[in-house]
Amino acid sequence: MRRAFTGHGASRGSALGHARVRLPHLFEVNEQHITEDHIASELARLHAAIHDVRAGLRAARERLHGALAHEVGEFLDLHALLLDDPELLQGLDDLIREGRYSADYALRLQRDRLAAVFATMDDAYFRSRSEDIDQVIGRVHAALHRGQAQVGGVAGEILVTDTVAPAELVQLQSEGVLAVVTTGGSLLSHASILARSLHLPLVVGAGDVLQHVNDGDVLAVDGAGGRVVLAPDASDLRDYRARRRDEQRERRQLHRLRREPTRTVDGVDIRLYANAESRADVAEAHALGAAGLGLYRTEYLFLQGDVAPDEEAQFRAYRDAVLGMTGRTVTIRTLDLGADKADRAGLTLPREPNPALGCRGVRLSLARGDIFAIQMRALLRASGYGPLRILVPMVASREEMLQVTALLKSTRDALRAEGHHVADEVPLGAMIEVPAAALALPSLTDTVDFLSIGTNDLVQYMLAADRNNDALEALQSPLHPAVMRVLRDVIRIGRMRGLPVAVCGEMAGDPAFVPLLLALGLEEFSLHPATLLEVRQAIRGCDLGALRRRAGALLRARDRAGIERWMRQATT
Amino acid sequence: MIQRDLMITNRLGLHARATARLVQLLSGYRCNATLVAKGREVNAKSIMGVMLLAAGPGTPVVLRVDGEDEIAAANAVAALFERRFDEDS
Repeated sequence: MRRAFTGHGASRGSALGHARVRLPHLFEVNEQHITEDHIASELARLHAAIHDVRAGLRAARERLHGALAHEVGEFLDLHALLLDDPELLQGLDDLIREGRYSADYALRLQRDRLAAVFATMDDAYFRSRSEDIDQVIGRVHAALHRGQAQVGGVAGEILVTDTVAPAELVQLQSEGVLAVVTTGGSLLSHASILARSLHLPLVVGAGDVLQHVNDGDVLAVDGAGGRVVLAPDASDLRDYRARRRDEQRERRQLHRLRREPTRTVDGVDIRLYANAESRADVAEAHALGAAGLGLYRTEYLFLQGDVAPDEEAQFRAYRDAVLGMTGRTVTIRTLDLGADKADRAGLTLPREPNPALGCRGVRLSLARGDIFAIQMRALLRASGYGPLRILVPMVASREEMLQVTALLKSTRDALRAEGHHVADEVPLGAMIEVPAAALALPSLTDTVDFLSIGTNDLVQYMLAADRNNDALEALQSPLHPAVMRVLRDVIRIGRMRGLPVAVCGEMAGDPAFVPLLLALGLEEFSLHPATLLEVRQAIRGCDLGALRRRAGALLRARDRAGIERWMRQATT
Repeated sequence: MIQRDLMITNRLGLHARATARLVQLLSGYRCNATLVAKGREVNAKSIMGVMLLAAGPGTPVVLRVDGEDEIAAANAVAALFERRFDEDS
């Protein structure tokens, strides 16, 4: 019998397939007692299960790579930390030892106690963290019975369950699950965020779906609309197929674009570079046909251990990025850290009341000449392996660039004297993210070979709006007439002096901003590989000549609403 | 025993990531650590305990540390709060 359920669309994509139902076993556990001579074995059983779940989380973390590892690893770490929690472990042990409860019932009691406290919270974000605890305790319970916390037999099926943990999603996707439907969960949950990164369709909060769906039932899932249809009828199937066709066409079109040029309708080639910070990002950028790397971040090298990486470790990382791009230009940004993170990179700096306006980026590099000299040596040595450019962050004045240039020259001479091969041409660029640098640009241009506009910080500093302050969200948009004007001026001055100018902030990776940036004169974008094809597609739909003729109207817009109106008109 | 008055000023408050950082930081110290906020007192070395505080931005909290390395632990926690749990950037 057909039945439709409405939940929240947590992750886009459609699926049609047989259901695999997983009931929340944990909550069906009844009170069970053990005798005194079973205490030790029951504790051992519990700890073995916890050990298995911990190993499973570690394995899931190792399967992640690139940008995903960075974003998603945190959720998995959180669950691992919960498993190490002294209160949770002590509470369970006490329930078994003193309450003489079975490990199963101890888990159930502990879960119920915590759920009761979380349920009283006013804040939706904190309330939804109760899911994390349910998931961790649920996995331990599953491990008690199966020896391992795994969901079997979901390849080609749609998993229907009460809640799903981030680590499970990674595993489910690698096993080939089509979609996941949960009765609980929220759009704010870690699993929802992860499903979007994994491109796995997910519907959460699908009410009483567990009461009506059985193993093997046919389900149609619409991950964008948050709809699940049990036993879909002819009209549902038509809807599903139409949605699916659209999705596949979109995907095929994007996929084909891997080998297509980034060329506007009127035949102008635009250069799309990729931002990267790992070997996986470099490989992806190469496969997607990026013109090169426009921003290779080096902070991650410094944040891995307690001490700053030595010259060899840095050299190998930079050289591998150059080799990975097989002759396409690789732009490596020098260390971009401030006092807020420096201690994690093994650097001791005085604490600052306002790190965003403090000793960061090139200021830190120049203040810590010892660290900077090592990075410069590693960069120049890597330049012997292919085209490499050096990008300097947070530049505010000509003096800073002159100091960097002097260091570059002396380091090059020293390396050559030692017999190292250093490229003759190692272009040096400045990131334009401090308003002073943007406004005093003519005084900077003879010290640099290229420019890259970091829109995230530039907008923050221009509008005096802290990027981390949610209350200022409306002010953090780049759609401000002053930002339009600065972008236009930086691009124009760069072009007049024959310097390539790229935008490497988030703005460059959003297809919605493509017409606007092209109208302002931009010819180089640097963006996360994940959105490269979408941006290429947007560029291929633009008539550059027409957009540039309309640039005057964009610059005359008096407020955000006017700029948004211009963007709407540009795409119609 | 040392007692410190702290203020939560990071964007989301003592949410999952910030709590994880606090607990990881304290795990390196031997002293006992307690957080008091909103009339509740929890073990600051327990990620669950700290999350149960549901302490959002603007919540004043009291840190109590007790043990041989209490001074270092109190300073480290105070610094983490001041750095807003390293969430800027």
